[in-house]
Amino acid sequence: MTPPPAKPASARASVYALVGNPNCGKSTLFNALTGLKQKVGNYPGVTVERKVGTAYTQHGQPLTVIDLPGTYSLAARSPDEAVTRDVLLGRRTDTAMPDRIICVVDATNLERNLYLVHQILDLGRPVILVLNMMDVAEAAGLKIHTSRLEHTLGIPVVSCAASTGRGLIELKLALSRPDLPLSRHAWDVPAAIAPAVSELQASLQDSDKKQPLIARAEALLLLTDQDSVRVSGSTPLSPRTQEILSSWEKRWAADGTDWAAALVNARYDSIGRLTAEIIGTSSAPSGPSTSDRIDAWVTHPVWGWIIFGVLMGVMFLSIFTFAGIPMGWIENLVAAFSGWVSGLIPAGDFHDLVIDGAIAGVEGVIIFLPQILILFLFIGLLESTGYMARAAFIMDRLMSKVGLNGRSFIPLLGSYACAIPGIMAARTIEQPKDRLVTILVAPFMSCSARLPVYLLLIAALVPDEQVPVGLKIGIMLLMYALGTFGAFGFAWLFKKTLLRGAPPLMIMELPPYRLPKIRDVLLQMLERGGIFVKRAGTIILGLSIILWFLATYPKLPDNQPEGDPLAHSLAGRAGHAIEPAIAPLGFDWRIGIGLIQSFAAREVFNSSMGVIFAVEESDDESANELHLRDALRAAERPDGTKLFTPLICLNLMVFYVFAMQCISTIAVVKRETNSWKWPLFQLAYMTGFAWFICLVIYQTGRALGY
Amino acid sequence: MNSDPRLQRPRMTLTELPPGAAGRVCALNGEAELCQRLREMGFCESAVIEKISGRSTLLCQICGMRVALGEGVAKHITVELIRSAA
Repeated sequence: MTPPPAKPASARASVYALVGNPNCGKSTLFNALTGLKQKVGNYPGVTVERKVGTAYTQHGQPLTVIDLPGTYSLAARSPDEAVTRDVLLGRRTDTAMPDRIICVVDATNLERNLYLVHQILDLGRPVILVLNMMDVAEAAGLKIHTSRLEHTLGIPVVSCAASTGRGLIELKLALSRPDLPLSRHAWDVPAAIAPAVSELQASLQDSDKKQPLIARAEALLLLTDQDSVRVSGSTPLSPRTQEILSSWEKRWAADGTDWAAALVNARYDSIGRLTAEIIGTSSAPSGPSTSDRIDAWVTHPVWGWIIFGVLMGVMFLSIFTFAGIPMGWIENLVAAFSGWVSGLIPAGDFHDLVIDGAIAGVEGVIIFLPQILILFLFIGLLESTGYMARAAFIMDRLMSKVGLNGRSFIPLLGSYACAIPGIMAARTIEQPKDRLVTILVAPFMSCSARLPVYLLLIAALVPDEQVPVGLKIGIMLLMYALGTFGAFGFAWLFKKTLLRGAPPLMIMELPPYRLPKIRDVLLQMLERGGIFVKRAGTIILGLSIILWFLATYPKLPDNQPEGDPLAHSLAGRAGHAIEPAIAPLGFDWRIGIGLIQSFAAREVFNSSMGVIFAVEESDDESANELHLRDALRAAERPDGTKLFTPLICLNLMVFYVFAMQCISTIAVVKRETNSWKWPLFQLAYMTGFAWFICLVIYQTGRALGY
Repeated sequence: MNSDPRLQRPRMTLTELPPGAAGRVCALNGEAELCQRLREMGFCESAVIEKISGRSTLLCQICGMRVALGEGVAKHITVELIRSAA
């Protein structure tokens, strides 16, 4: 996982862009062409994945392939689609305009797929058309005359089935052609808008220095794309072009004519004539397909929910059970590594910094890697089989009640494991506002780092081993439910107020079911896991070191070795400093230290309680936990009353449910939203809400005499 | 419902079309952006939609693909009934 390259590795290799509709098998083709020679990064300034790979022609010439995000049209609706449009139009400064375009279409659904092709042919660039999934089309009884299509369009057409590798050699042969013919497909721009097109084209050529054909294509786009998505990294239009555009828009608005519709319909008419010529049905498709039969169950109002529930249950069980084994390995590995490093560095501050600060801090996050990989594996499997779209369909009704779209449920679900992959999964949400709301509420879902804290506090809360297990489980479930309600409640609130927007408009294609391509799923899982590790290796490492300094310095003066070094440190002083703020919640400065240290990772609370209440550590973990529990139960306030009363334990758990106490999450939100505004807002509103709720609980509890 | 082809075919929004029935798109009447999105996805005037299921979020089949539509989208699509539910 190397950082994103600014430019293709070799400036001499020609650059191909791979474009197509979502679900047309573009990524499978990309993987088949480039194998493992891929670089995954981000387009600077936007959180859109940038995939670049090296492929070889049939003659062994290397060439660079950019896999552009899937889109239905060049009229972009989401940041992903805007990147595709901008790269193709040569509007991005960080990515040179590709030399040639490989257009991938789903042969089973030519009409809809050809719409994008139609727009791309307008660009006047050399295009190779790839008819993918020919095997499925043939099985469905479709007969496509590729030679006729090739003749009409005047560009190379390759039929292929990327999943089996059929047609790859033909494609590579086409890639090695030194000259590619330009399309001779002509269509008529509706006469009434032709003057606008030519005026804009002239201005784009003069003022924006565009090539004539690109200028024409861009003029057509500008006219249909009233409210186009602009993303950072995209070169803005010149003022003159902007002026011409708005004057035409005003004129049409006065006319009351819908030119956008006329343009789309003119394209579809032209495509309709084309497909009538080239598609013949050899045998009539008989009855509902396998996919339709599966859908009858999976999208059924009752069975659909049952299947959904079972799948999610299996996913969660696997995350929490199977992950335990590799988590143990990581623990042992880190312990061994830390022991080895420990032997290299002489005892002293630097030794403690490396062992207790850097290594322990990064371990606290890396330990979740197995859970995250399993989550990504499931997400990948569900996506590649086509189930994910069905799950979003099923959840849409529920999610639309709080103003979110069905797609938000995967990020929220993933956040039960860890908010970081959950927030990263929010990238698939089209509407920027819905995506932001999802990111803002995702950390309310109780992540697995809260689990150890809940377990400790429940143990301290519920007095004896004789108490029924059901009560403990009940309290635990209550905490999970609280977090979930919090997330939905705030999503509803944000959609009503701060991020008011049109109700989510759901238009989502449900691709036919397919057997998952294991290789593609694993590749994607490793890529996403790699991004996570990279983050743990950089931001989190830095933050861990800072937190270590806070908890270590200033040291106790030599003349009073009896004191508590943690209490004397900056973190300890901060605990004292925040005591006035948390005293109304019933927390004292010692709990305050735990709250502050939880910013490294919430489960650090347990170890900092261990340090503060001077629990003797032994190698036996369960014994440690028992010691810690007893120490908490024994802890007293200066006036001799118990510190961890049931009310305080409960209140502390509620605080952990709602408060934003995770530096890693803040760092990820910063990256995903490209600003400090949202992570800081999130920190403030979540922690503020937690404080308020805990204040109410504690004061009410006190008033009731607990 | 009377679906005699010689009579004027009944018009309704896609939300009102009974599951299992098919309709032809007559008009799209939402915001320009939504209409364009729908047209680009194949919901052009004269396209044939078969509604499969759904009350609020509905599922339909259009030119060989399956699409989920939210209620907020479907109410902007006016169709004429061309085949009643079987």
